Amino acid sequence: MGENWFQREFLAPKRLVFNIIFYGLHFFFFGYGWHSQATNKKLSALNALTWSVWTSRGAGLVLAFDGGLILVPMLRNVIRVVRPRLTWLFPADENIWFHRQVAYSMAFWAMVHTTAHYVNFFNVERTQVRPERALDIHYTQAGAITGHFMLFIMVLMYTTAHHKVRAQCFEAFWYTHHLAFFFMIGLYAHATGCFVRDSPDPDYITSFPFYSTEHCLGYESWRFTIWPGILYFGERIWREIRARRATRLSKVLVHPSGAMELRIIKPSFKYVAGQWLFIQVPDVSGWQWHPFTITSAPEDPYVSVHIRQVGDWTHGLGERLGAGPSVVAQLTAAAMKGKEKEDSVYGTRGDFVELDPGSGARPLPAVRIDGPYGAPAEDVFNVEVAVLIGAGIGVTPFASILKHIWYRQRKGNVGSLKRVEFFWVCRDAPSFGWFQSLLQEVEAAQADPNFLRINIYLTQKISEDMLWNIAINDAGAEYDPLTLLRTRTMFGRPDWKAIYSRMREAVEAGQYLPGTNAQLKTKVGTYFCGPSVLAKAIKTACDSETSANVNFSFAKEHF
Amino acid sequence: MGNLIWHEWSRYVSLTATVYTLWAAFWGILYRKFFWDFVGGTLRAPGGLQPADNVAFFIDIIVKAPVVQILIMLHAFALLALEFPAPFLKGTGIYRSIPLRIVMLFGQAFLAVLFYQGTNGTIYSLTAAIGYTRALMLGEEMKEAKDHRGRGGKA
Repeated sequence: MGENWFQREFLAPKRLVFNIIFYGLHFFFFGYGWHSQATNKKLSALNALTWSVWTSRGAGLVLAFDGGLILVPMLRNVIRVVRPRLTWLFPADENIWFHRQVAYSMAFWAMVHTTAHYVNFFNVERTQVRPERALDIHYTQAGAITGHFMLFIMVLMYTTAHHKVRAQCFEAFWYTHHLAFFFMIGLYAHATGCFVRDSPDPDYITSFPFYSTEHCLGYESWRFTIWPGILYFGERIWREIRARRATRLSKVLVHPSGAMELRIIKPSFKYVAGQWLFIQVPDVSGWQWHPFTITSAPEDPYVSVHIRQVGDWTHGLGERLGAGPSVVAQLTAAAMKGKEKEDSVYGTRGDFVELDPGSGARPLPAVRIDGPYGAPAEDVFNVEVAVLIGAGIGVTPFASILKHIWYRQRKGNVGSLKRVEFFWVCRDAPSFGWFQSLLQEVEAAQADPNFLRINIYLTQKISEDMLWNIAINDAGAEYDPLTLLRTRTMFGRPDWKAIYSRMREAVEAGQYLPGTNAQLKTKVGTYFCGPSVLAKAIKTACDSETSANVNFSFAKEHF
Repeated sequence: MGNLIWHEWSRYVSLTATVYTLWAAFWGILYRKFFWDFVGGTLRAPGGLQPADNVAFFIDIIVKAPVVQILIMLHAFALLALEFPAPFLKGTGIYRSIPLRIVMLFGQAFLAVLFYQGTNGTIYSLTAAIGYTRALMLGEEMKEAKDHRGRGGKA
């Protein structure tokens, strides 16, 4: 590694700008909070507590700022709407990252604020600037009660949000994170105890907000921080309403590889290619919403998702749909055999099986879907060359995009898009059988052989037997023996630097895009979905190959 | 998805509780106060809360000399070394002992509840202890990390 953690996280140009603005604002608020407390004549009694009260007030204002920001990146629907207009300004796809930055900052300032208050209350008791004990303030007054509660909620939320816990047990994270509701209530109610006042006793009144602003001289920050909270709450309600709209599970297809394809009909659901949705099956769990990539194109009459049975919930769903492990195992076995079975003009690897709801079994369960939510691949049509890279399961969003491109191509309406390079890096091809069948369709439908190029890289170690098998079967065969595509499978990891530099040379030489003017800058957009290690390698390649004539941009999707 | 591995989650809570307690103990040395001094204490202005005579022992070890605070700091450092873990503890039997953690967390909770700044440390420590107890009940084991996994060139 040429750069250390600090350089990577804090000094990369975009990060640096973000850090200066983000932390700059924090320090500004801290300074302002400190200053406005220290110079307030009305609060001279409190100012007898000196630095600790200035610190607590400064940090309090910073926390109000963070409390207002923490929900903003979670306004998924708002972000989906504003994103296309604001991509130039901020990477809206990095919303979870931003949420985490706010949370880290919040933890730090909570430490400062709490520490200062422990000193404050200690000194209040000692000097009796107010006739009360530290204990009274800590455990009988609104400010400190909500404060202690918020701290405890933070402990629970932060620990269960650790990426390891989240990966082990998403439910633990999901349910615990809903403590945020109580956290936000605590935040808005934090100042209702009227701790910052110029009178010895709190000046409570009978009308909202139940303390008079004449003597209670807090920042009234709740007036600002409550809006993201209201928006978020409204959004959750809206999501609930939207999810309740007529939705019908029309078909369940079980693919040979074990993936279940759910075809859902919901007329009110509008989306674009590359987006994802949340799905809920009340029969399996009445509370859990699970994110899945949409695999159908907007032109399809249904919304489909492909679900592999890998976790508790997906297994439960499989059982409920009658596609339990035994069914899948049979199919998979048949699929593996399908390698030798050449049935039709182009061999398919066993066919998918439609689960028939009429055959005396239970009817198909009710489903609810929520979404769609954004993904950067929506902008494919704004670039001349789209490089789509899917790694492993990360290939799923491209199912929708490729289908969509195919539909648009048929209508002769592909925007500025001239070529599509599709890369699929995966460990073992057979486990993504359903995707192969989709690729077959798309590949077979290509009129212009240069428009879509499929590159498949298989990274698994192959045995000697398999090597010979491939070497012999591959020679002269029309279809690749592994994927049954016309495209040959490549083995080993792709060399991104070489790929991009070849592409750049080809574009610059005018071979790659016939008919384009060399004076114009060619835009090559890379859309990647997969693990972040790979993302970094590709991004580096993109950045280093960007030249005067070719601009390589990079976007990554998150799950 | 899948199942929560309780001792892994508890470790994060335990680390939080321990760091919190450490920080609290540091401030506890600067601003010394026996948390339970309100029991039988009298409030005077000026002068603050005057503890009752029968808690003089605790006043001696917390206010007059910060014995409890220093003790808990040492204890917290030890627990931190166990949880993080420190290189010399990695892979030892002590490091993999869940019961030891529960005992230490209870000890930390007991010590932390004595002084003014420590109460939240107590609550978090007990939370972590509950988590570890749950891990024990479920029969979780802290497995020795497999060597050479994911370390390029060393396998």
